[in-house]
Amino acid sequence: MKKLVTKSKGLSDKAIGWLFIAPTIILLLLINVYPLIYAIRMSFTNFYANKLTQVVKNVGLKNYYKILGKEAIWEKMQITAHFMFWTLSLQIIIGLSLALLLNKKFKGNELLTTTIVLPMMLSPAVVGVFWGYLYNPQVGLFTYIVNFFYDFGSFDMLGSGTLAPWAIVIVDTWMWTPFTMLICLAGLRSIPGYLYEAAEVDRASKWQQFVYITLPSVLPFLLLALLFRGIENFKMFDMVMELTGGGPGSMTELTSMNLKREAFEKWKTGYSSAYAVILFVTIFGFGNVYVKVMNKIKDR
Amino acid sequence: MKKILSVFFIPLFALMFSTNVKAESLTLGWAAWDPANALVELSKEFTAETGIEMNFEFVDWTSYADRMLNELNNKGKTFDLLVGDSQWIGGGAVNGHYVKLNDFFDREGISMNDFSDATVYAYSTWPKGSENYYALPLMGDALAWAYRKDWFDRPELQSEFQSKHGYALGVPKTWDELYDMCSFFQGREIDGVVRYGAALNTERGSEGITMGVTAAMYAWGMEYEDPSNPYNSDGFFNAPNVVEAVDFYKKMYEDCSPPGHSNAYMGENLDAYSSGQVAFQMNWYAFWPGVAKGDKDGRVTGFFANPCQEICAATLGGQGISVVNYSDKKELAQQYIKWFARPDVQQKWWDLGGYSCHKDVLGSPDFVESAVYAQGFLDSMGIVKDFWQEPSFVELLIPMQENMHDYIVNGKGTAKGALDNIIEEWEEVFESEGKL
Repeated sequence: MKKLVTKSKGLSDKAIGWLFIAPTIILLLLINVYPLIYAIRMSFTNFYANKLTQVVKNVGLKNYYKILGKEAIWEKMQITAHFMFWTLSLQIIIGLSLALLLNKKFKGNELLTTTIVLPMMLSPAVVGVFWGYLYNPQVGLFTYIVNFFYDFGSFDMLGSGTLAPWAIVIVDTWMWTPFTMLICLAGLRSIPGYLYEAAEVDRASKWQQFVYITLPSVLPFLLLALLFRGIENFKMFDMVMELTGGGPGSMTELTSMNLKREAFEKWKTGYSSAYAVILFVTIFGFGNVYVKVMNKIKDR
Repeated sequence: MKKILSVFFIPLFALMFSTNVKAESLTLGWAAWDPANALVELSKEFTAETGIEMNFEFVDWTSYADRMLNELNNKGKTFDLLVGDSQWIGGGAVNGHYVKLNDFFDREGISMNDFSDATVYAYSTWPKGSENYYALPLMGDALAWAYRKDWFDRPELQSEFQSKHGYALGVPKTWDELYDMCSFFQGREIDGVVRYGAALNTERGSEGITMGVTAAMYAWGMEYEDPSNPYNSDGFFNAPNVVEAVDFYKKMYEDCSPPGHSNAYMGENLDAYSSGQVAFQMNWYAFWPGVAKGDKDGRVTGFFANPCQEICAATLGGQGISVVNYSDKKELAQQYIKWFARPDVQQKWWDLGGYSCHKDVLGSPDFVESAVYAQGFLDSMGIVKDFWQEPSFVELLIPMQENMHDYIVNGKGTAKGALDNIIEEWEEVFESEGKL
């Protein structure tokens, strides 16, 4: 017994703590920090991963200048911004509305919740493929439904430069609205019932209850959903790749898809490392500001 | 106990022994399509003759370049033999991915003079036209057309077309005639079903729209570069005749395509044709054996080479077979090539649905009669032109795909603007390589 006590004294709580987190830290360093530092180093070179015999030269900030001065890259940024703005707005509005609906008690509530949640359980690549069929102008269900309400004739959602950006917004909204809905639902269910009872005693209207009780209580949850979806959609690749491949032309080519083309089709490793660093700084910067704002709102 | 041990150990030893004496094997990579299946059949004879097992990995066309080029860039040992696309020959040679075959050819008495000149030039040589061989022509191919002969043969359609255009409905000799015929069928009801003109290449992700639009551009006499000033495309690739060709292809797409045919290549064109949607499809010769298979008497489908316009020309397809430099079985792989180069094997290759490039096969008296598309194939192989075969061909292809799709399908900008953009990006690539 004495021996055991002596042994346990040998390792402090702090040391044990370090022992537990060491594997995670090592793993993080190996698979996150090291590649990041390596990519930053590469971003200052003219390295091509498919031309291993070519001499790698230091080009300073040339890659960064080139990317930031390239009109096509800003076009991709605009396309990504359009995609993010509309998907996030729609997902928040529809997600909150559905959460408000499902927060009521009615028959079939659970079944409806499960059904609504189904799309987000599917693989994005699969969603891309089957929405491709739904959008088919000749036999697609989507075309049929739209024409049922108003006869537009045959229209090609994926082949038209005007419609294709909306086609990807619709699919992402369909797939990920359940996610924001679930988070909002968790927020709604955490609001104590006595707040509404007190509001009713004070003769507050339903609208006033929504504006002064529901919305402020759900807001931190909404912001969290917005953060998750924002980061995910900034990196969006698989679903859009399957659905449009970035086309028509480059009307739906998001920054992540463009980066993949530069890095693994054109093999401009140095250039695409700089591109990746710019995207990382953008999302990291936005994320940081956003978390600070979110914390301020939470503290109020 | 002995019995129990024997139950466990005898099969174990047998298994170990069997793996030790396992036959030698080779792995061959290619795209997943009809000719690849024919090659599997053909290769059974190689295994029967030599005892060398053949393994195959076929990749879908849309991922073919990605998969194979990544493998080569990573110096992968998955493949001993690779049937690489014609445009890869430059990169394969310069980056050391392919084994130079000259010494092997000399040693084994394989003469490149036995193969069609156009295919040797296109699939085997780097620098182009030199006597440095990095592949043996395996599959000759070019972009061509199939049409609904049964619709063309209908008297009421013939007379209507004749009165409208003043000439007979038949195999189009020029792109102008092709347009007249495509637009004639567009939206037309035949046997109670609405039909469309033509299934054209419009795919954006890999090489589809480039392979389609260049069929028109070549016919309008397009040159990629100044012949006296290599890598300089300005004034050639964006010349007025090329602008006209791109506009013509766009007009074809807008006036003759079935709805939703905005990202279509080989598979989609075949589907549109076989489902009876379109009167014409553009596609590779490689698919014609499959198309002709269900039409034994040749009443439904006819085939023809790419129509002429200012000149006669066709987009080159096809591939050569190369030995991968990173393979541990280069000698065995060369044995396969030696076997494949034999005239009798080449004849069987054609009989099975592969497109031999061997002069003995192409020049045999009954070749033209051996298939309905054989004459077209011969005609096409004499006029083929290919996209850049530079080591950086992917970097050259991507802006072509993007800008052509943006203009033809999306309707953004002008043909001249799209061609100028492409040249700008090409110049950037050539400058980075010190060629400009």
